[in-house]
Amino acid sequence: MKVKTNLWLAVIATFMISACSTSVERLDSQQEVDLSGAWNDTDSQLVAREMIEDSLSRAWINKFVKAEGKEPAVIVGRIKNLSHEHINTNTFIANMERELINSGEVQFVASSSARNEIREERGDQDLNASEETRKDMGQEYGADFMMQGQINTIIDVDGTTQVRFYQVNLELISIKDNRKVWIGEKRIKKLVKNSKLRE
Amino acid sequence: MYKFLFLFLFTIISGCAGQQQENNDLANLLYIQNPQDVLEKLQTTEPVERDYAQFHLNIGLLQLMTGDFQSAIDTFSLAKREMAVLAASSVSENIGAGTVNETLRSYSGYPTDRVMVHNMLALSYLFNNDIEGARVEMLQADISMKKLAKRKDLNGQLASSHLLAGIIYELLDEQSNALISYKHAADIIEQRGLALPIGLKQALLRMSFKLGAQNQYVAYKKQFPNLPVPTNNNKNQLFALYFDGVVSNKKQNSIMVPDHDNEQLIRISIPAYPQMKHRIGRAKIAQQKTQLTTELVENLEVLVREDLDKEYPSILLLTTTRAIAKYELVKQADKQDSLLGALVNIATVLTEVADLRSWNMLPSNIQFAYIETAENEVVINSSNTLSQKITINNGSKNVVLINSLSNEVFHYQQ
Repeated sequence: MKVKTNLWLAVIATFMISACSTSVERLDSQQEVDLSGAWNDTDSQLVAREMIEDSLSRAWINKFVKAEGKEPAVIVGRIKNLSHEHINTNTFIANMERELINSGEVQFVASSSARNEIREERGDQDLNASEETRKDMGQEYGADFMMQGQINTIIDVDGTTQVRFYQVNLELISIKDNRKVWIGEKRIKKLVKNSKLRE
Repeated sequence: MYKFLFLFLFTIISGCAGQQQENNDLANLLYIQNPQDVLEKLQTTEPVERDYAQFHLNIGLLQLMTGDFQSAIDTFSLAKREMAVLAASSVSENIGAGTVNETLRSYSGYPTDRVMVHNMLALSYLFNNDIEGARVEMLQADISMKKLAKRKDLNGQLASSHLLAGIIYELLDEQSNALISYKHAADIIEQRGLALPIGLKQALLRMSFKLGAQNQYVAYKKQFPNLPVPTNNNKNQLFALYFDGVVSNKKQNSIMVPDHDNEQLIRISIPAYPQMKHRIGRAKIAQQKTQLTTELVENLEVLVREDLDKEYPSILLLTTTRAIAKYELVKQADKQDSLLGALVNIATVLTEVADLRSWNMLPSNIQFAYIETAENEVVINSSNTLSQKITINNGSKNVVLINSLSNEVFHYQQ
């Protein structure tokens, strides 16, 4: 009888210990996981993909190709975070850059910080690289358009329930003459219910 | 067996009470030692897990006061997350609070803490040169205040939070948002029966003028006839915030009485704040010919007392329930064995301690002043601190944080 009781105690203790221990599970990076209701990687990927698809399906691109006889060169500029959350806009910009490059429909120009690093390297090559392998200054590909935008939120709260509304606005501006050739908007609405009880 | 039980309970309770006493002593130490020394002392303490939010709020504030802004951001963010998680009730903690004492409940922060944490985070982001991060915190503070808002009740509504939001929006040239925030700050200050700081009156005039809100501008001009009319000049702007003193610690009020047949002792302990005795000091900001003093925006001494007053009905209910539960426990133990009854009675008396936890290193009050000047230098003086010269660039917007407890003046310039 005593052995049986001890066995049960051991089983319960094992359960309790395993419940407290850290567990790690590998997830597919495309899988949607929402924990807090805040802006996450799924939102970032989804908005970047849909907005770039929309921008590349509009008339401005054909007009440019027809007029200039080449694919437009695009650069992603500043995406302002005007939301209620500390959103890392760099991951969103990286997602958009990937979608733009992979579309194959536009040329893509590196960001200003990346360009500075490359210029430094060219300067270094100027001094140290052999003449056959040296890359000359002044050969950069200038962008035709810059994509800029902002992320806004509206949050409605009642007790432990929240409606979180995200609106991402992007616009593509011609660097030559400041014309806006495309404006895109994507909205996400989330209902978040927090538990009134915890462990 | 009884000895062990007694020793065990005594150790737990003396640990809880001792830790809070140590925390209160450290807060009082801020008046005589610099924040860096107090921070180092606080960092060597090991709080129990249920006091982590309080611990992180105090650590974060000391990191801000010592100019370690990135650490302050990390620590306050942690405290903010902890308070958000702890906003939900725990059944086991409530049972502990209803049977032993309220310190067995996790510290989830009072309404003032839940809003003030955003203010402190916003300042940390701002002085860390991340104004967008500061803006995010101000939006979150607004949500927190909306969550806490009840009709005709100012609990959880902070004028300092709206004022800081107004300053941040003005720095970002968001004039409409700035005007709305300044108006909210003015409403709360008036409802609390305080005089509107001149700097806030100027802000209302300035923003309504710049926004072209003619009706509002005319109304403010009529309301504040002695103030100079705002113009579209390129003068340097300086927004000065002053943290004065340290907010009061809670104290324990206890009574111990014998029961009706003199067989056991019943003790009741309730937290309370002592009478307000902090004398409000002012910071002085001097230019070549003129001198301004900072004015009261938020008296945190009042706010923390309001927070506790709001909790009193539930504290009294729980204290009464606990007294009955402990009385019955001693009675049952006494029936089995009178020695056991006596030991359990001692344990119930010793475990009856009030919850004295609070964010007790907050400033006692927050003050504000605004200067528009063509000069490139201002001198700042506050109680207990040395004169500090601040250099400001032409056409710049500046925010300074002055603290009566430290010689450092933090300066953001754009």
